[in-house]
Formats: sequence, structure tokens, C-alpha cells
Amino acid sequence: MNPDEMDAVFAALASEPRRRILDVLKKEPGCNVNRVTEFFEDIGRVAVMKHIDVLEGANLVISEKVGRERLLWFNPVPVHMIYDRWTTEFSAYWAGKLARMKYRLENAPVPIDKKKRGGSRG
Amino acid sequence: MAEPPKAVFKIVINGTMEAVFRELTKTDSPQGAVFNSMLTLDEPGLIPGRKMQMRTVSGRHAVVIGEVMEVEAPRRFAHTHRFTQFTDPSCKVVYDLKQVPGGVEVTLTVENMPAGTKTEVEMNKGGMFILNNLKAIVETGKPSFGCRLMYVMFHWLEFVLPASTKSENWPIGGKK
Repeated sequence: MNPDEMDAVFAALASEPRRRILDVLKKEPGCNVNRVTEFFEDIGRVAVMKHIDVLEGANLVISEKVGRERLLWFNPVPVHMIYDRWTTEFSAYWAGKLARMKYRLENAPVPIDKKKRGGSRG
Repeated sequence: MAEPPKAVFKIVINGTMEAVFRELTKTDSPQGAVFNSMLTLDEPGLIPGRKMQMRTVSGRHAVVIGEVMEVEAPRRFAHTHRFTQFTDPSCKVVYDLKQVPGGVEVTLTVENMPAGTKTEVEMNKGGMFILNNLKAIVETGKPSFGCRLMYVMFHWLEFVLPASTKSENWPIGGKK
């Protein structure tokens, strides 16, 4: 990935609506622009289309014209190339383990502090 | 009825179309971009209708079976694709190559993925892996160090592959 391409990817990702568009496309690959717009209450179709153009310019979105529709897919390849650039095989392994631990802990039920509860009774 | 899921991946590779196409279609050495598999045909020559398999380097296991669907060198290669270890139906894999400023744009499309199956999961992960490695091979002559390490592990751990994937169970051109 050359510096210009990488700049385009980072610029595209430096926007919350654009990141949300990628989330939508990851969840519903091949959906059209109208469907993506449904996920946004705060911005209209034209703005969504502009964001999609930026994402497409960064190769993060692939679009295909089918009849009158424009179908969209998330292309994870540039993100993976950035990941590859700054991770070695070993750090990737441990980073993956830590990330999984973080997700597990964040989704786990909050532990009850038994000591504290017991103390209040006594 | 909803269309079967489709996945699309795209990358620009600084190389020639011929070099990229050869990496995807060669049968005389392992395909470093495609999980180091040996593309094996029922008869020599990449021609639509030929049965194909992606075997391990030793040839003992056939991991993927399929049929060549389209060959338009150096622009397009398409084949059906079915993992032998799953019972999922086949999907279609298409590589489209296009000359663009800065190199060759490669689009990998997986069509008719059986929804909610292991095949769908594997194809979504695999597309990204294939294109990244294809780029590394064409631009530097070899896959990344991590990928090479993984291929060594594949070779050492070949014995853990399910018995159902053994090549003897999948005679090329056979009905199974």
C-alpha cells in the first residue's frame, strides 16, 4: 500500500458516520444505499452517498451497479494490510489474545463483591 | 427470496497481469497466495469443464474440489469451490484482473455462498488472506514471513486434517 492509499484509508476511517457505514455493510453485505441510509437518523441520503464515495475512494467499499440499484460491500483488505504492517506474527498472537480477553471481560456479568455484602449484614 | 450471500474483495498489486494470473492458476508449484495448495486438474490444461482440486503439497489431502468455469487469461478465472470437510454446497469463486494506474486491480468475488454455513465463514476470512498474500508474492517474490511460518505449520500438522479429506476419498473427476 503506497502512502497516498494509506492516507486515503486513514482519512476515510477518521469519521464516525463512515465507520458506521462499514459496520452496516459488514452486517448486511450487498445492501443498497437506501438500506444504509435507514441506519442514519441524523444525516440524509445525499450525505450518506458522499461518505460512501469517500470509502470507495479508499477501497474500503466496493460497489456494483445492478439495474437501478447500487449494491455495496465492505472490503476489509486495506484494514488488514494496515494491521499486517504494524504487527509481527508474535505480537499479533498476543494482541489477539488480549483483545479476546477484553471482549470476554466486557461482556461478562459484573462480579458481586461478596466481602462487602457480607460486611453490611454483620 | 433473498439472494445468497456474496463477498467481494479488492486490491491493487504493483505487477503485471500475467504475473498475477500465473500465481492464481499455476499447477506446477504450490500456490503461495491460496493457502499453499497444489492446483490439481483431472487433465493438463486450464480449460472450462475440467475438474480441479486444491490439494496439500504432499498430495495426501484434497481440501477443496471444484470445476473450472471460466478462463480468460490474463483477465478472468472462475471456478466452483467446495470444501471437502464440510457438507455445504459449492459456491463460485471469480478472480477479475484489470490494469489500473499503479498496477493490477484484482477483484475476488465469492458468489452463491451457502448462508449461515462454515463455508461462508471460511470464504469471508479466506478472501482477504488470498489477496494480501497475492500482493506480497507478486511484489516481493514471496509471502510474508508470518504466512510462510503458517505454511510450515500446515505441513507439520497435515496429519490433523480429517480423514474425510484424504485424496483417495476424492478421485479427481470422480462422482463423490
